[in-house]
Amino acid sequence: MEPGRGGLTPDFSLAGEWRGKMEEGKAYSPHGVFAHLEMLEARAHEADVKEEEAKQQEEKLARLKARVQELTLQRDELQAKVDLQQKRQLEKEGVASDPAQPSAQAVLEWKIKRVKAMLQVFCLTGISGKLTKQGVCFCISTAYEGTYLDSYYLDLLTKPEVRILRHSIPIFIPLEQLAKKYLQTDIRRFLSVLSNHLNAYAARKYQADQLQEHFSDQIEGTLQTNSLCNLLVFNYNVPNKSKTFPFNVRLLYGDLCSSIPTKVTVSCTWISPLCSALAPHSKKALE
Amino acid sequence: MDNSIFQVYEDKIQSLEEEIKLLAEKYEDNQQESTFFSDEEILMSKKSFEREFWRESQGCESPSDLKAQLESLETDLSFLMKFTGIQFTSHFKKTMEKTRNRTVQKHRLSGNCHSLSFHLEFQLLEMQNKENVSVVVSDLSITMESGEDSDVSKFVSSIEEHGNLLAFFRSLSSYAEWYEHRKCTFLHFKAKYPDVVTLPEGLLGDYIILRNSKHSGFELMVVWKIHIDEEGRTTPLLDLLTKVPEQVLEWKMATIENAPTGFRSMLLLFGIEAAIENLIKVVSLEK
Repeated sequence: MEPGRGGLTPDFSLAGEWRGKMEEGKAYSPHGVFAHLEMLEARAHEADVKEEEAKQQEEKLARLKARVQELTLQRDELQAKVDLQQKRQLEKEGVASDPAQPSAQAVLEWKIKRVKAMLQVFCLTGISGKLTKQGVCFCISTAYEGTYLDSYYLDLLTKPEVRILRHSIPIFIPLEQLAKKYLQTDIRRFLSVLSNHLNAYAARKYQADQLQEHFSDQIEGTLQTNSLCNLLVFNYNVPNKSKTFPFNVRLLYGDLCSSIPTKVTVSCTWISPLCSALAPHSKKALE
Repeated sequence: MDNSIFQVYEDKIQSLEEEIKLLAEKYEDNQQESTFFSDEEILMSKKSFEREFWRESQGCESPSDLKAQLESLETDLSFLMKFTGIQFTSHFKKTMEKTRNRTVQKHRLSGNCHSLSFHLEFQLLEMQNKENVSVVVSDLSITMESGEDSDVSKFVSSIEEHGNLLAFFRSLSSYAEWYEHRKCTFLHFKAKYPDVVTLPEGLLGDYIILRNSKHSGFELMVVWKIHIDEEGRTTPLLDLLTKVPEQVLEWKMATIENAPTGFRSMLLLFGIEAAIENLIKVVSLEK
């Protein structure tokens, strides 16, 4: 609504028009008059509502402006505090607090540091890499739960067709089959499946190492495993009063992309009723 | 009054609040950092820095070398972001503890994978052993855009519990790809068949409704969930629900009952897009 203009202004012209029609001698029933008055009243009410809305909106805008002002002040105060803090720190370290802008070299060095930090963070995602003259060199990180383990490298040529130039992938990982299946059509899929294999292998190896490290007092002899760590055999003893019961465990990982065994065999080498009672417990514990 | 005016102020308020939060954190961190080191340590550090600087300044890199290095690093970062679909928008790192063979760093990391945003906080413990460096993630906390999805929240809880950051990123990539694919598919069909396809929850919803304006009361709902298990394996789950007027139901009971089974068979035969397209064509039929 424009300032300085009443909300009812347009309605007077309608009233005039109605009066004119009456003068023309066209008979209007009282019902028609009431209807018209009702319409005028409705319009007046509508205008009031609009005015109220406009008032509320102006109040809201004023509130928002005040909040912006308040926050700007707060921000400026904090910024000043931080600047002062940094200035003091520099003085404490004996560096002259030069009000001049940092040099172009300092800015470049800071940017390099920032990008390097971002690239390091990419290592945590499991796949990082670097473009080379001939293609790209990928680094595949492995981890088991929260512990990061080995990283493997894969140098790819991208022209004329994608092929592996060199790599540090263990020989027992089916790299050639995976390359045949995915490398030409979908590099992302190739790296994803390869990463599954490497992470599962790293996890199996890590679990075997942890078992050897933390339960060496219970494990008899050395833990036997193959290079792929998908077969694990060990013996352990369960002491009971005067006797010690020897158990043999065989873990088989049927799925090479998994770090959970698919088949567990626990057998007791000393046959007795107690031994057969203990065997299911040890199996349960392993599962 | 134009709503966009309010929006401008609200955006300004939001950006100021974020700025204040960051400055407050910076102020706190600076306060803590200054208490980490004694004056002697700072003095020793300064001396060693001066020695290093003197050594480096003999063969100091020129700004053009630095520029080339920065460009190369930025190209690598850009490539990785495109390749993985993961983009980091902010990264904050703070050293909590540092000894000769042990470093604890607190990280705050925000970003998005395709169109899904995430925010992470975690600690990284680096330990230098005789032969290698071990890196362990702890105190992992994850906030994700689609956290209200029960599957996602279960998966996130499992990841947080084990500090399995690498698994989070690998699964997030797969989940976000499906999420993006679903969004694009819904958008494609909405654009191609605007009269038949409706998206009650918009592009971020997990279902679309197909209806023919000539046959009121008849509706097909295609539900497309993206299931992620606690191991992080992502699977698309599609199903068909029917809404049919009673008189039609009496007349074509068997056909209607078999529709979901038929749709599942179609999914296996033709894939997602073709199955939905066929369904739309059936719904669009005049008779």
